[in-house]
Amino acid sequence: MNGEDDVAAEEARARALDGALARVLRPPSVPAGFQARLQAALTRAAASEGSRAEELSRARRDQRERLAALDADYLRLRRRTLGTLIGGAFAAGAGVAVALPWLTANFGSNAVFVLAAAGALIGLAIGTASWIGRPRLPNLLGRL
Amino acid sequence: MQPAPADAAPQDRDIVALLQSGARERAFEQLLARYQGKLYRLCCTLLRDPTAAEDAAQESLVRIWKALASYDGRASLSTWIYTITRNRCLTALERRRELSSLSDAATEAEVEALSHGSDEPQATDDYALLRELIELLPERYRRTLTLFYYEDRSIDEVANMLGMPEGTVKTNLHRARAALTEQLRRRGLDDPRHWLEVHP
Repeated sequence: MNGEDDVAAEEARARALDGALARVLRPPSVPAGFQARLQAALTRAAASEGSRAEELSRARRDQRERLAALDADYLRLRRRTLGTLIGGAFAAGAGVAVALPWLTANFGSNAVFVLAAAGALIGLAIGTASWIGRPRLPNLLGRL
Repeated sequence: MQPAPADAAPQDRDIVALLQSGARERAFEQLLARYQGKLYRLCCTLLRDPTAAEDAAQESLVRIWKALASYDGRASLSTWIYTITRNRCLTALERRRELSSLSDAATEAEVEALSHGSDEPQATDDYALLRELIELLPERYRRTLTLFYYEDRSIDEVANMLGMPEGTVKTNLHRARAALTEQLRRRGLDDPRHWLEVHP
């Protein structure tokens, strides 16, 4: 009987404590304005995320545009070089056609060698001028 | 990782389905409706300070919103959300500890002594005394007990929120109640009639 009483008393004690704890530990409600403040924080986060994405896309667009401009410049340079070569070859051919009768009259059978020597001299002059006008290379030896 | 509570599963499934269909905004709205109160209560329990708890809950929700698109479903949604929130609270506690270690220890001890006197509760009414006794429980018992009553006595929800097995929650609850009963007995307040008389 005593044992049963003890168990009943223990259960009553546990129930009372449970009730008292439930009373003391009432769940706190979310503060007023929580939603509004959260919304503001989310808007700020979205804005910073958006501006970062925009910055990235702008940088990528810039990079694409610069690459396209470089490609276009390179192509233009190649076309100009090709045009210059073809034009130079035709001009040289025309020059030879004009000069050959006069050279043959003055130098006879040596006219061909004179022509070749004149061509070589002109070539060397152009090469020397390009060499003098080349972009300067860094003086690597001077640094050692 | 804890499995999602059984009653939460259908609603979590709805949110996950919305996420998979690409409706991130709508999914977040549902998530907010379902979890904002729980997250705030979890933060209150872990941080013991309503202002810090609100900040932590808001920061956790912003993080969840940012990471929502990358949620891969490996852990249940609730486990994922509670893990983010617990980590945020642990960071806040860590920061608080660092700040308190920077302040003048002697001044702090003096203020502490003036405000509390000693570890013995000084409450004037019985419920305030019980509240103070709960505050003096070891941290793991206090957290478990508090969340248990905040979450309507749901052991699996408390286990999920605190990231611990249900068995540990039950053990912590039992030990917390035993410690409280012992403290109340010492003060002659363990008679059930006492509590019924105070607040019928």
